[in-house]
Amino acid sequence: MRLFETTQSGSVEIQIGEDLQAKQEELAERNRQLFTERGIRAFDITGSVGAGKTSLIAEMVARLSAKNHAVAVIAGDVATTHDAERVVGKGAKKVLQINTGGMCHLDANLVARALEQMPTEGIGVLLIENVGNLICPSFFSLGVEARVAVVSANEGAHVIEKHPAMFQSADLVVMNKVDIAEAVNVDLAQPIADLQKLRPGLKVVKTNCLAGEGVGEVLQALGLA
Amino acid sequence: MHEYSIALDVWQSVFAAAREHGGGRVQSIKLEIGALNMIQDEQMTFWVEALAEQDGSPGVGLDIIHLPARVRCLKCTAETTPEMATSPALFFVPPVLQCGNCGSGDVEVVGGRELRVVSAEVEEKEKSDGAAGETRASRPSLD
Repeated sequence: MRLFETTQSGSVEIQIGEDLQAKQEELAERNRQLFTERGIRAFDITGSVGAGKTSLIAEMVARLSAKNHAVAVIAGDVATTHDAERVVGKGAKKVLQINTGGMCHLDANLVARALEQMPTEGIGVLLIENVGNLICPSFFSLGVEARVAVVSANEGAHVIEKHPAMFQSADLVVMNKVDIAEAVNVDLAQPIADLQKLRPGLKVVKTNCLAGEGVGEVLQALGLA
Repeated sequence: MHEYSIALDVWQSVFAAAREHGGGRVQSIKLEIGALNMIQDEQMTFWVEALAEQDGSPGVGLDIIHLPARVRCLKCTAETTPEMATSPALFFVPPVLQCGNCGSGDVEVVGGRELRVVSAEVEEKEKSDGAAGETRASRPSLD
C-alpha cells in the first residue's frame, strides 16, 4: 500500500518502501529454484581481471567433460567473446557469452536472461564466469550453489585484506599462480593468514591452473570430483 | 561502479511509483543505504540524476540515509558496529568485519546491506511541465 501526502509546494510525497536488496535476493532465489528443478549444479566464479578464472574454468570443463559430465559455461565480460571461445574447445556442451556493455558485475537478472537464451536440457553443471572485478560482484547473489573466488599470487600479499566483501561472500577460495609467487615477491602466508582471520575455516586451494595443478582439489571441494 | 546498476533499480522503482501517481516530475528521492553496499553518494547521485533527467525529471535531489554495518560475533555473541578506518588521506574505506568486542573475524552480518527506496517527492501533474511520459528506464542489452 502506498500512502500519499500533499505538501504545500504542490508536490506529493509518495511512500515507496521498496527493498532493492530483497528484490535482488528474490531474483537470485528464482534462479536457485530453476537450477534445482532442472537438476543443474551452478557455480559463480569471481576474481580480478587476470586472476585465472577462465584458465580454471577451462581446466574444470576439460576434467568434468572427460568424466561425461555435461557442462555449460556462461562467461560474463564487459565486451568481446574471448573467454567463451577459450572454453568451447574444452568440451563444454553450451557456452554463452554475456557482454554487460559496461556493467561491472553479473546480477541474478542477467543470469536469468542468459538462461532463457541457453537451452540447458541435459546440463548437469553450470560454471558462471563473473566479470573480472574483485569488488562489485560481491554484492550480487546469482542464486548459485557456491561462489568460488579466484585470487592470484601477483595480486599482492594484501589482496584479501583489501577486498573483504568478496571473501566474506565466497564459499571457496582458489589461490592461483602459486608457481610465480616467488618471482613476484609475494609471500602467500600473508593472504592465507588474512583469510583465516576474516573467514576462519574457509577452504583455500592452491593452484597453477595453466598446468592443471590443484584443479582436482577444487572439483573435490565443490563436490564435483 | 556498481552504483550504476543500483541507481537504475532505484530509478525504475521511483519512476513506476511516480507514474502510478500521475506521472509528475520527480523532485526528490529518499534512500536508505547500508554501509556494506559500499556506495559512494556522489556516484549514486550522478547516476540517478542522469537516469531521471532522461525520463523527464531533471534536477532530482537525493536524500541518502546511511545505515551502519552491524555484526554478530559467532564466538562471543556480541552485536557491534564494525569500525570504519578514517583518515583524511583515505578516500573510501570499507568497514573491517570483525567483532568490536573480542576482535574475532568469525562474524555474521546483521545490518549494513540495506538498500531501500523509502519515498519520493513528485510534482502534481498539472504543475508539472514536460513530465515523465511514456519513456522508460531500460536495462542495458545482453548483446
